[in-house]
Amino acid sequence: MTEKDQELMKRYIYQVVRRLPQEQKEEVSLELQELITDMIEEKGISMEEALAKLGDPARLAERYQDASHCLIGPEYYDTYRWFVKIVLLCSMIPVFLTGSLDAVLTGGTRVWMLGDSLMPEAAAVSVIFGVFGAALEALAAGLTAFGAVTFVFVILERQKVKLEKKAEKEWKVGDLEESPARRVPGFAPGVLPSVPSPKARISRGDCIVEIVFTVIFGVLLVFAPHFFSAVLPDGDTVTFIPLFNLEQWSVLLPFFVLSLFAGLVDDAVRLAVGVYGKAVLVSSLICNGVSLALSVILLKALPFWNPNFAADLGARLSGDEELLGLLAHWDGGLASNLLLAVILFAVLLDTGTVVYKTLRYGAL
Amino acid sequence: MGEEKDLLAGLVLELRRGTLILSVLSQMAEAKYGYALVQSLEEKGVEIDPNTLYPLLRRLEKQGLLASRWDTGGSKPRKYYQRTAYGNDIYEELKKQWRQISAGIEALMEEEEG
Repeated sequence: MTEKDQELMKRYIYQVVRRLPQEQKEEVSLELQELITDMIEEKGISMEEALAKLGDPARLAERYQDASHCLIGPEYYDTYRWFVKIVLLCSMIPVFLTGSLDAVLTGGTRVWMLGDSLMPEAAAVSVIFGVFGAALEALAAGLTAFGAVTFVFVILERQKVKLEKKAEKEWKVGDLEESPARRVPGFAPGVLPSVPSPKARISRGDCIVEIVFTVIFGVLLVFAPHFFSAVLPDGDTVTFIPLFNLEQWSVLLPFFVLSLFAGLVDDAVRLAVGVYGKAVLVSSLICNGVSLALSVILLKALPFWNPNFAADLGARLSGDEELLGLLAHWDGGLASNLLLAVILFAVLLDTGTVVYKTLRYGAL
Repeated sequence: MGEEKDLLAGLVLELRRGTLILSVLSQMAEAKYGYALVQSLEEKGVEIDPNTLYPLLRRLEKQGLLASRWDTGGSKPRKYYQRTAYGNDIYEELKKQWRQISAGIEALMEEEEG
């Protein structure tokens, strides 16, 4: 073998083994040396011909690696796609809304509420820039969310391989005395659930819409509670008179978020199960119960409303008798009761629907 | 025409892929090094690309069907593979399966040919 041939072979083998895990490199390298020299000796072909017959080193390296080449396999892919959709909606929409609302409120209020004709262009430009910035932020949030979900599923995929191998081993030891006919691991037609009645099915779209709105609301509450305010122009700036008691926000927020979270869990269960039945019924009863309990605490036991709302607003609205008249009726306790009534109605309606559909169509 | 050829080639490849392990295991009662295996298969009319065979041998070893040892006595180091006891069991089992499949397919084709 000439020196040139040697060099060629070395290069080829390097191109293969550099793609392999460390512990395989040395042995595969020896193996390929043996193979290539054998091919040349036995077939009487040249080094170029032998290497051409072995083909692209990248493909050969691929064959040496028995691990699958997909990031997320078919088993998880469907779930993964649903997750990506939901997470994208839940990250991009709230971020975009928060950002652009902020821009519109701060930039636009002057123009629209004050009739500030001096600088409408400047305000409009600032709004456009703000919305554009919000879109960019939403894009970044979407990318981050996409990456995070993908990462989690890649881990699942890798772990699954291990888990399955483990399960297989355990199964072999445990079932040695079983008859061969029964040795069918995993899927068996007998475990197939019956097809649910169309009326018992839960619309995935509804669940997703609910989840997205809950998350939007939650994000606003956490990051921009001042949006729930009366917005008034104040000279060159904008004054927010918050509806909620932002001074006690650190106490209130956890209850709010927990209550929303209960709703999210409920929606997630519905999405996962997809059919009215015991699981959805139990989850709905628990989650709605928790939501309701938290709402009662929030509205009746905690200082929920901004105690100065009416006074502050009244002070700035001097002159507008009609609005002032309305404000005079503002009463936190009454508002709490009204809101609570609405929540109670919603909870009862939802629970009632679930109970009805479960009893009527669902599989208990 | 070219498409048809590609399709056929792909289908043949798929058909052969399934039989590869059986072919390889059949030759491994005695220790053989890789290229000798390529030749002994070729002699019997079973073609196999070395670039498929070598990774396959490693995989079968990893699965415990084959065992390997390096022989450094000759003119150059050679890796010899041989069936393990577990490999023997699996091979016997695979043989049975193959005969069943082959008989089944044969029957299907005969029926079709009338």
